[in-house]
Amino acid sequence: MPDSPLTRVRIWDAPIRLVHWLMVALVALSWWTAENNNLEWHRYSGYALLGLLVFRVYWGFFGSETARFANFVKGPRAVWSYVRDASGAARPGHNPLGALSVILLLLLLIAQVTLGLFAVDVDGIESGPLSHLVSFDTGRACADIHETLFNVLLGLIGLHIIAVLYYLLFRRQNLIATMIHGKRDVPAGTTTSLASLSWPKLLIGLVLAGIVVWYISRG
Amino acid sequence: MSNSLRSRILLTIATAAVAAPLGVILAHDDHATGIYKVRHDEYHKLGDAFKVIRDQTRANAPDAAAIKNAAVVVNNAANEQFNWFPADSGPKEGVKTRAKAEIWSKPQDFNAAQKLFQEQAGKLNTVAAAGDVAAVRAQFGEVGKACKNCHDNFRTPED
Repeated sequence: MPDSPLTRVRIWDAPIRLVHWLMVALVALSWWTAENNNLEWHRYSGYALLGLLVFRVYWGFFGSETARFANFVKGPRAVWSYVRDASGAARPGHNPLGALSVILLLLLLIAQVTLGLFAVDVDGIESGPLSHLVSFDTGRACADIHETLFNVLLGLIGLHIIAVLYYLLFRRQNLIATMIHGKRDVPAGTTTSLASLSWPKLLIGLVLAGIVVWYISRG
Repeated sequence: MSNSLRSRILLTIATAAVAAPLGVILAHDDHATGIYKVRHDEYHKLGDAFKVIRDQTRANAPDAAAIKNAAVVVNNAANEQFNWFPADSGPKEGVKTRAKAEIWSKPQDFNAAQKLFQEQAGKLNTVAAAGDVAAVRAQFGEVGKACKNCHDNFRTPED
C-alpha cells in the first residue's frame, strides 16, 4: 500500500496518553525521592502510581479498543511471527511484541507498588502503609526486592525506549508524537478512528482508583 | 537488516534484560563477621523493636504491653551502643559496613549523638512503662530525630 492517500485517525484515547505520561513522571519522581531519601514524597508518588495502575487495568477491560488487553495481548506464536515479519503492522494499537513490553512493564510496576506498600526501612522508622501487616524482616525483604526490581524495571524501560527509537530512526514511525496527540496517519480506508470517550466509564474508573488508593493509604 | 539478524538481536537483548538482574540478586550476599556482625544484628533488633512501637502507636487499639517490651529493647540498645564502636571497627577493605570513619575521627561529636539517643530512649521507656500511649506517640518522634541526627552524620547513605 505504498501510494494510497493517508488519512489521520485517532488511535490512543486521552486517558491512555495521560496515564502513560503520568507514569513516566511518577516513576522518575519515585526514583528521585528514593535516591534522596525523601520517603514521604516517595509514598505519595507510590499512591499516585497505584491509582494509575488500578485505572489502567480497569481501562484494559472497559476502555477504548486499543486500550483493551483482549485486543492486543497475543500468544508467543503471534509475537514470533511479528518479530520475523513486521511489515504488516498497519493495524493501529500495540503490535504483538510491543504488547509484551506493555504487559511486562505493567506487571513490574504492579509488583513494585505492591512491594512498596509492605516495605520497611532499615531503621523501622519509614514504611509503606501496609507494613504493619508483616514482620520487620519481611518488610525489609520487601524493601530489598523493591530496590532490586527497580533495576529490572529500568532495564525494561531502557528496552522500551530503544524500541521506540528504532521505530523512529529505522521505520520512520514517530511513536512518541502519537503517544502525545493520539493520532496516526494511515492509508485511507484501512482503519477507523476510535469511538469517542465514554464519560460514565471514565468516571467509574477514576472513582475505583480513588477508592483503592484511599483505602490502602490509610493502612 | 535481515529478519533473522533482527530476531537474533532482539533475542539477545531480551535475554540480557532478564539475566542481568538475576545475576545481581544471586550476587547479593552478606559476609559480616565479628564486631561488624554483632553491631549489625543489634541494630537489626533495634529496627525490629522500633517497628513494633511505630505500628502500635498507629493502630486503632494499641497494645500497651507490646509497646512496653519494645521500648525496653530500644532503651537497652541505647545503653549498649557505646560498646558497639570499638577502635578498628570502621570502614576498611573487605568489610561491609555503613559506619563512617568520622565516628572515630570525631569521637566527641559521635559521643554527643549517642548520648542524645540514650536520653530520648530513656524518656520513651519511662512513658511506655507507664502505659501512656499518647506520650509514647509524641516521644517516638523525638527518638526518631535522635536516630536521624546520628545517621545523617555518621552513617553512609544506602547505595
